[in-house]
Amino acid sequence: MKRTLTLLVASTALTAAVGLPAWGAMRAMTDGITRPISAIADAEREAVPLMFISDDNDDDDDREYRRASFFGGDDDDEEDDCDDDDCGDPARNPAPAGTVSPPQNGLFGSGTPPKVQVN
Amino acid sequence: MKSLLAALALTTALTIPGIATARPVALTTTLNNYGGDGAYLALYVTDADGAYAGSLWMAGGKSKYYEHLTDWYRATGGDPAQINGITGASVGAGRTLEITLDLADALFDAGYTLHIDAAVENMRDSPNEVAVPLTSEGADNPVGGRRYVASFGYSM
Repeated sequence: MKRTLTLLVASTALTAAVGLPAWGAMRAMTDGITRPISAIADAEREAVPLMFISDDNDDDDDREYRRASFFGGDDDDEEDDCDDDDCGDPARNPAPAGTVSPPQNGLFGSGTPPKVQVN
Repeated sequence: MKSLLAALALTTALTIPGIATARPVALTTTLNNYGGDGAYLALYVTDADGAYAGSLWMAGGKSKYYEHLTDWYRATGGDPAQINGITGASVGAGRTLEITLDLADALFDAGYTLHIDAAVENMRDSPNEVAVPLTSEGADNPVGGRRYVASFGYSM
């Protein structure tokens, strides 16, 4: 009888020693899963309004794309934002008429600046 | 008196060729109503052998688009130095570009040909849109272009 009682106490103690930490870990896991789900539900209840980060870009993207497809896949045109390679290196563009003499290529009689008119 | 006359004759003989080596020439280019944006135009000259001799005018100021003026670009590599001081704005559809240049007499009746390359955004490039021999007889006789140029003529 004494022996049986000892075995019962020992098995209970063993069960408690092993089972209690396992039960505690399961509770923690369960809480970890339910918390995000409730957070989503709470977020829906709060209904954060949508807002524009920026709405001041007037570029017509379709038109820009159309231009880019013709002029070599570039994304710039003459009136739009200064985001092309010419902006960073204006020296690549020729000097406009009247700002310097015509080139000395033998075609021009003198350094007389050209006269231009568009009608 | 005799020496004065000789000096006068000498100075006149030296001065007149200098004055007569160039003359103002008006180049008039009228575009069709092709229904697109402004056209880039390259006006340049080739010699009797067809070799590039130099540029006369560039309509359009952004060098990044010059590759679409294909013949001119092939000849020059798009070098801006070729068109410094002879570059203006692109020309709108239906508009007329009139340029007056002080051109060397040696260009006329010597086998030179004036070419125009044209390019328009979202439309086809048109190299050698116009090719006209530079001759005294050709002055004031406008010719038509292939795609964008309705007429081109020069007058002296």
